[in-house]
Amino acid sequence: MTLSLLPFETDRLRLRAFERGDVDAVASYHTLPASQRYGVRHVRYPSDVAEAVGIMRTQVALQRPGDVLAMALERKGDGRLIGQVLLQWSDATAGQAEVRFLIHPAFSGQGYLTEALSAVFDLAFTQFRIHRLMVRCDGRSHHSAKLMQKLGLRLEAHYREHALFQGEWDEELHFAILDREWRPNAKIFELSPRNRVA
Amino acid sequence: MALYPAYPLMTSRLFLRPFTRGDVDAVHSYRGRDDVARYLYDAPLSRDECALAVQRRVSQTGFAEEGDRLVLAVETQADATVVGELSLIWRSAEARQGELGWIFHPDHQGRGYATEATSRLLDLAFHDLDLHRVYARCDARNMPSWRLMERLGMRREAHFREHGLFKGGWDEEFYYAILRREWGAMRQSTRHS
Ligand SMILES: CC(C)(COP(=O)(O)OP(=O)(O)OC[C@H]1O[C@@H](n2cnc3c(N)ncnc32)[C@H](O)[C@@H]1OP(=O)(O)O)[C@@H](O)C(=O)NCCC(=O)NCCS
Repeated sequence: MTLSLLPFETDRLRLRAFERGDVDAVASYHTLPASQRYGVRHVRYPSDVAEAVGIMRTQVALQRPGDVLAMALERKGDGRLIGQVLLQWSDATAGQAEVRFLIHPAFSGQGYLTEALSAVFDLAFTQFRIHRLMVRCDGRSHHSAKLMQKLGLRLEAHYREHALFQGEWDEELHFAILDREWRPNAKIFELSPRNRVA
Repeated sequence: MALYPAYPLMTSRLFLRPFTRGDVDAVHSYRGRDDVARYLYDAPLSRDECALAVQRRVSQTGFAEEGDRLVLAVETQADATVVGELSLIWRSAEARQGELGWIFHPDHQGRGYATEATSRLLDLAFHDLDLHRVYARCDARNMPSWRLMERLGMRREAHFREHGLFKGGWDEEFYYAILRREWGAMRQSTRHS
């Protein structure tokens, strides 16, 4: 699993490694309250963003369990960074991985996440041979839940009031999909021959 | 909040009490069995391992801080037979969460002892320990265990498929949970003990 496949492209997006110059763009979506819960760490203040980007810049390959592949979502048309998808390889023997994502609200509702996540799921199942992939969502975020169902993930868990988040009871959904359940969508994602691994 | 309950806890037919050194053989009579261990993390325990387990449990009688575990012997009032054991782990102090576990001797299953004893422990969890939510988990194939959870009024919150490996195969696991207010409502509508 030492492949680094970045960057790669979908119809409208380029998924690439993070760069030093991304801090402002990341701050524009990462410090929003709705982004807090499912970011990798708490990035509440603009000063935390530089640190988060610094870490994501190093997350360019999956070499051992625990590693994260951090992908910036860049629009092909105007080169604008609109969000991020992180793929974490959590367990090697059981082939488990977790995906986390954030998108700037100004760009949601246009299918960018569907496009990016489909490509990342393909990558996880075909290149990284993941057996089961899971995504956590806030129980109140109906957008994310709908998106997960559209991508064919099953609702595996609905925890109610299992934790406190910033003083309020939390509600958390877990969605998951197994390798044999995933139907790669060749139209959305095609690795260019250059990136193919025998 | 710290809690050291006064023992024994009582139900109509049972006592729930701390383990004592004299319980090793009783514990071995069920923890040594393959059928009992089938869905437990541990393999069947030898008598020596049971002696060690009992030694540990002698002090697991209350809660001082998050992470502490209470393990109680369940004994019949009629003839002082140990029929099984129950555990309650204090998982989170901030969010007031706890986790339940149960293991009963097959000779004493099917009589409602597990339901009766666990109801008493849920009373303690919500009332004395002031928890907000209590959960339990089990292998999806362990029907006696999840039927017990449903009898207690717990809701299935999770059904994980192939999220890990367990005893040589893919794991499939259920999580059940009950909130304090749900247990209160359950208590009003039924009488377990
Ligand atoms: C899980 C376990 C504790 C359940 O035990 P159990 O005997 O089924 O549970 P109870 O003591 O509550 O008994 C309920 C049964 O007794 C019957 N019963 C008889 N008298 C009863 C009474 N007075 N009140 C309630 N139920 C009564 C119920 O109808 C029920 O029978 P059913 O399952 O045929 O419907 C037991 O199977 C066990 O210890 N398994 C091995 C260890 C294990 O796997 N632990 C869990 C790991 S997650």
